Amino acid sequence: MTDAPASRSTPYTVPSAVRDAYVLGGNRLPFARSGGAYAGVSEQDMLTAALEGLVARFGLQGAQLGEVAGGAVLKLAGDLNLTRESVLGTPLDARTPAIDMSKACATGLETVTHVSNRIRLGQIEAGVACGVDSASDAPIEVSVRLRRLLHRLSRARTAVQRAQVISGLRPGDLAPLPPRNSEPRTGLSMGDHQAVTNAHWGITREAQDELALASHRNLAAAYGAGLLDDLVTGYRGLGRDENLRPDSSMEKLAKLKPVFGTSNPAIAEPTMTAGNSTPLSDGASSVLVASRQWAEENGHAPLARIVDTRIAAVDYVHGDEGLLMAPAYAVPALLDAHGLGLEDLDLIEIHEAFASTVLTTLAAWESEEFGRERLGRQGAFGSVDRSRLNIAGSSLAAGHPFAATGGRIVATLSKLLHAQAKQKGKVQRGLVSVCAAGGQGSVLLLESDGK
Amino acid sequence: MSRVSTHEQVKDLGDVPSFPAVYAAALTRRPGAKRSATLPDLAHRVRKVRIDPARAAAFDHLMGGAATDLVHPGVLHVLAFPVSLSLMARSDFPVGLLGLVHVSNRILQHRSVEVGELVDVECRTRDLRPHRRGRLFDSVTTILSENGEIIATDVSTYLAKGAAPQGEDAGAQGQSRDGRAGGDGSERSSRAEFVPSAPTGRWSLDAGTGRRYAEVSGDANPIHMSSLTARAFGFPRAIAHGMYTASRAFTESRPDLTRPLQWDVTFEAPVTLPGTVLVRYEDDGDGGTRCEGWKPARGGKPARRHFSVEVTPADLG
Repeated sequence: MTDAPASRSTPYTVPSAVRDAYVLGGNRLPFARSGGAYAGVSEQDMLTAALEGLVARFGLQGAQLGEVAGGAVLKLAGDLNLTRESVLGTPLDARTPAIDMSKACATGLETVTHVSNRIRLGQIEAGVACGVDSASDAPIEVSVRLRRLLHRLSRARTAVQRAQVISGLRPGDLAPLPPRNSEPRTGLSMGDHQAVTNAHWGITREAQDELALASHRNLAAAYGAGLLDDLVTGYRGLGRDENLRPDSSMEKLAKLKPVFGTSNPAIAEPTMTAGNSTPLSDGASSVLVASRQWAEENGHAPLARIVDTRIAAVDYVHGDEGLLMAPAYAVPALLDAHGLGLEDLDLIEIHEAFASTVLTTLAAWESEEFGRERLGRQGAFGSVDRSRLNIAGSSLAAGHPFAATGGRIVATLSKLLHAQAKQKGKVQRGLVSVCAAGGQGSVLLLESDGK
Repeated sequence: MSRVSTHEQVKDLGDVPSFPAVYAAALTRRPGAKRSATLPDLAHRVRKVRIDPARAAAFDHLMGGAATDLVHPGVLHVLAFPVSLSLMARSDFPVGLLGLVHVSNRILQHRSVEVGELVDVECRTRDLRPHRRGRLFDSVTTILSENGEIIATDVSTYLAKGAAPQGEDAGAQGQSRDGRAGGDGSERSSRAEFVPSAPTGRWSLDAGTGRRYAEVSGDANPIHMSSLTARAFGFPRAIAHGMYTASRAFTESRPDLTRPLQWDVTFEAPVTLPGTVLVRYEDDGDGGTRCEGWKPARGGKPARRHFSVEVTPADLG
């Protein structure tokens, strides 16, 4: 950081140096399908369980950490302090502060960034990034009219006033409202948006099914190889992700009917099925992040260094860009800042919101036109070596409890990078890319020296 | 722009009339009352009408927008609507109020109105002219500030179905048609040619859509309220208010309300409720946005356009 003379007049102190933050490990619950093994438990139950597992793995009983950052996408209004309440239910020192964060499906990755930035700026030594979601126990709200009416009713002072308020009630006002499944500004569901992006990039059904099949096979292999032994703790009778289908096949996937893009007359052949789209899921994940000094003092070897992050958003509202394409812009910005290209990445994790989200992102990066007109480059951004992509499976197989996905990916990738760096004897770099509702995206770069 | 006649009388109303009263007057019109061949040389005016912040907020919310301190121009339209109706409900008005078809609308807003502001509303009619399916005329509303500055003009073009009386001059009031919102006379040919592009959004309109707009606009015309009441007026089902679809498209066009703007709407096939409307927005890169809403082709029936909306900056310098 340069220290220009002009900065002397600034009224705040800029830290003299930014230090590194490291991923030490993680713990998550096996992810369940909505209405499955976790149907009867709350988000606080699941987040507490995931944090308890992390405490047990790293001997954090009674430890006062710098901060625990967490969140849930579908969160009950009463759970305003979901993360803090969960922390209070664990053996962590009750004086450990917590924060709730929210950025749709990028919530989990943003909690990692938040804790990492706290450490990098010297504000804390160690913290936990975590996330949870339950589609089974998603909030159901009353209608706007009923809500306003109930508030007026509580303000009414006399029986006559109360009667007047109640007389405004209509039967239709009583219908409960489940969480909306569409982008508020377009009325299209995320899948319907992605179907449009698919059609634009000409992504085939076969390519999507192949990617889905690879996700299931890779995750099954990762369980088989013991990769997840110290990343996942069983919960409520579930030992592995409930959605995992190790015996899936192209034939089985080919039989499924398209579910998205089917009502769009501009899409001749809808290709997105329940097999190549993530299911609604329940689950929680957590990641332990610390300074090197804290790790050493507490006897833990860092798995990976959090190098940097970038965020981006696209204007999807009038169709200028696909809803889930923001990472296609954030990744080039991140890699450019570090003088890297896609070929410099040893492992790449692109969150499988849909199989096609991954494929349209790859297609955009390989497109000369996209590179020139959208990214302002000389030509295409580059190609991803598919043998380095989502090698331990991703959301299509594991499921996608929204805010828990970032933590799942960061912990798994850190462990993979560490093992690979150790084996190869050289630094390994890994990328995490997560798309989110509202046309947003968050991406993060990790690096491991295997030590 | 609309004050062309030197003989015009201005009738000051004490307040904005209520919709039910205006409709009741139209419904109870004396059957033998004689209709004039020409539009009345008369303006209805209401002074110092307050833009109710709660109503403006409810309007914004229904359109999916944020309630800001700047008023959606659709609020100005619904504010003035009963005033213009009171003029059109006169027993000597050349055409009947009931059954009028709103074919197009143009609002030119020179500056935005703030919630709570007091404005004057002046309504007049002009340019009765023959049309292939009957007669057209414009209902022109001027919104003025307390010191007489014109804030906005709102031109609603209506079609009165049926044959034009013999011998009636096309330019009944000798006015130019320049600046009149388009749409009349072209709908049949454009309907046949309409080939929709890829939609960028979808509106899922439930059966209560008309009732909710009636609540924020005051326009409780029975054809919008329920299929039962709509059938009583010859419609198979309830239809959405045209200005609901236009106002929602306005909000979704993301206009800059701090700048002068023009909002053009052409209505074609009505939107029946409940129903799904596919929409497509195209930004012109210069601050303007064009929107089309349509019903997709289905079972051999071709796609039909419900409306086109264009919102463009109108910096007049």
